[in-house]
Amino acid sequence: MNTHDAGSAGGPPAGQGAEYRVAHLQDRLASGELGELGVRAEVRGGTVLVTGTVPSARCREDVLSTVREELAGLEVHCDIVVSEPSSPDHAEELS
Amino acid sequence: MIRIAAVGDIHMGPDTRGVLRPAFETLPECADLLLLAGDLTRHGTVEEARVVADEIRGLGVPVVAVLGNHDHHDDRPDEVTAVLRDAGAHVLEGEAAVVRAGDARVGVAGTKGFGGGFVGASAGEFGEPVMKEFVRLSRRCADGLRTSLERLEEEGCDVRVALTHYSPVPETLAGEPLEIYPFLGSYLLAEAIDTAGADLAVHGHAHAGTEHGMTTGGVKVRNVAQPVIGRAFHVYHLPVRERVSAGSGTEASTA
Repeated sequence: MNTHDAGSAGGPPAGQGAEYRVAHLQDRLASGELGELGVRAEVRGGTVLVTGTVPSARCREDVLSTVREELAGLEVHCDIVVSEPSSPDHAEELS
Repeated sequence: MIRIAAVGDIHMGPDTRGVLRPAFETLPECADLLLLAGDLTRHGTVEEARVVADEIRGLGVPVVAVLGNHDHHDDRPDEVTAVLRDAGAHVLEGEAAVVRAGDARVGVAGTKGFGGGFVGASAGEFGEPVMKEFVRLSRRCADGLRTSLERLEEEGCDVRVALTHYSPVPETLAGEPLEIYPFLGSYLLAEAIDTAGADLAVHGHAHAGTEHGMTTGGVKVRNVAQPVIGRAFHVYHLPVRERVSAGSGTEASTA
């Protein structure tokens, strides 16, 4: 659930330059118009793993679009979920 | 028993208008008050603040909030605060609010707080002006929290809660990269809480963190960032040690 392959299928594995591109992606997500500091991108073996929780489906699409743009050509696995807005089903008893 | 509902990091904007309202409307059935632990908006714009205001207006329980770093991004924290206050929320920065829960008085001391890190790996007030100002801001926030908690003690509140956006302890950051801990909280907040005393500390900010923690002095800490709790809010049942006899209802005042 909520996984999305944002990269082109069969794209080249993430290499040495990928680290800087990932850093630039994080910077753009945080400082750009998305203001998204809750999404994390990491180079994992030959792919870039993008994880986090965002407040809306639209926000998720915006993040994915930015990821596709910044990491074009890299193999990317996106695992971004949308916040759950339901009431809790129990309370915690604090002693 | 006091029933405290809390959530942080709801990051609202026009595209999430009304999303939390159905859950918030159940609050009178399950909670005596709602705490909002900052990052209520995405960019800190007045337009986003109005979305939050509509979400919390007339809920039937008192709402007490602090702002987060996102709520400062548009450099309009005073306007954001005014919009939320107009919707009936207590918005605290180095201040305290007292709300009634049945016949008990619940005191909430709040500050956004700031970073700097934790014991053994914390920033010092040294070097470049911006570095010194970074640490001073964290210290000012912690001082405001301590004096507010002390004031609530003097006023004889039955329960005292410390509400911050940044974390007072590293324990509730577990899951975040260690390298960014200095940007997620400060031990100065925990020191303020332990010095003045509190029954519970609630914060947000660390989306990948952990819900449960505790200060060195034994005060329970809860990270209620929405991505952490995975709900519209969480509810904590806090025992009241000494009950007062006067009054009831949800009448509130800001100390």
